[in-house]
Amino acid sequence: MFRLQGSKVLAVDMTGDSVKAKNGSMVAYDGHMDFKKLSGGGEGIRGMVTRRLTGEQMTMMEVKGQGTCYFADRASEINLVSLHGDKLYVESSNLLCTDGGLRTGTSFTGLRGGATGNGLFTTTVEGTGQAAIMSDGPAVVLRVTPQYPLSVDPGAYIAHQGGLQQQFQSGVTFRTLMGEGGGEAFQIRFEGDGLVYVQPSERNTIGGDV
Amino acid sequence: MPFREINSKMVEATVVPGQKMYSQRGAMLAYKGDVSFTPNIAGGQGGLMSMIGRRVADEATPLMTVEGSGTVMFGHGGHHIQVIGLTGDTLYVEADRLLAFDGTLQQGTMFMGSQGGVMGMVRGQVTGQGLFTTTLKGHGAVAVMAHGGVIELPITPGRPVHVDPQAYVAHHGDVRNKLSTALGWRDMVGRGSGEAFQLELSGSGAVYVQASEEKL
Repeated sequence: MFRLQGSKVLAVDMTGDSVKAKNGSMVAYDGHMDFKKLSGGGEGIRGMVTRRLTGEQMTMMEVKGQGTCYFADRASEINLVSLHGDKLYVESSNLLCTDGGLRTGTSFTGLRGGATGNGLFTTTVEGTGQAAIMSDGPAVVLRVTPQYPLSVDPGAYIAHQGGLQQQFQSGVTFRTLMGEGGGEAFQIRFEGDGLVYVQPSERNTIGGDV
Repeated sequence: MPFREINSKMVEATVVPGQKMYSQRGAMLAYKGDVSFTPNIAGGQGGLMSMIGRRVADEATPLMTVEGSGTVMFGHGGHHIQVIGLTGDTLYVEADRLLAFDGTLQQGTMFMGSQGGVMGMVRGQVTGQGLFTTTLKGHGAVAVMAHGGVIELPITPGRPVHVDPQAYVAHHGDVRNKLSTALGWRDMVGRGSGEAFQLELSGSGAVYVQASEEKL
């Protein structure tokens, strides 16, 4: 159902079913489509409270119809992710589109959120189906196994899935405080079994300045 | 095809004696051979009347004439470049998106407001695309700039294509366009899906859509 047209445009073929997509990301469609606004943080009262508390203001829309709908956002590269009952953690600004059947929610990321500059909460996508995530430049998918943990620059991290524990790592030393740091004072360390999506670019983070 | 794509952001054109080519002023990156670049005061072809037309229409992107014999490389601002071949049909494109085109193509200006009456006028205001657009007609190739990659969507009778006005780049063929609104009360109270306006293109031809909602 999801297919890439080039690396920057997502084409979704629909036959009366629906997808959730980032607000305003439709660039073209044929057939008949309806657009309806949704809000992040899940549905219902609980979702609303979560949104207010977390500030994870993911504005998404529901697209329903017959035909092909094309999505793109600021010429970002698009990556397709398949979910088989597992959970995808993604920064809300990097989520472009998901199958209508997937549940989206919000999750607390702890201290890491402060350093990535994306707040203390992140978006989760759960269920079985496809999701499209965006990256600044082509993303790489890195496999994490119990033997091989992975450390990622918070500014380059975009998403992860599978059974992973994440831990915030700081290498702040006396040299950093003296302004002699290597510029890599903070990392997110992933342990367990899963996949981490990393983009070849670093968004601005507090960590990046140290 | 006089244009050869070197990569997604650069094209190379072969210039032969006796054949003119037009390009946006300052878009030359490098050239080989004996090629001359002359600013085109008229901003294209078609004589004085069409020049006035373009000035009035604010579709007067400064152009230069490229003549001689050799090869010229064009690119501008790191924008993505799409080469479109015309075989007797008309291409509709905003002047500022034109990078270079064959001198054999007939250049003109079209009042978009005339298509669709009042809604046409509204469309120009809403889409920020202006009320006038540049047309190129004939046999030859055109290099057009876009932000991000470009996809080509075919338009066939009975299967119109709807395009986000900000992502629209150009179209060709026998195509009618109209602005369709999906404005509901939700949009009025600021709870819209962000897809309130769409450009509906119907007929037969193709539309070029960029992978971004940013202007050049």
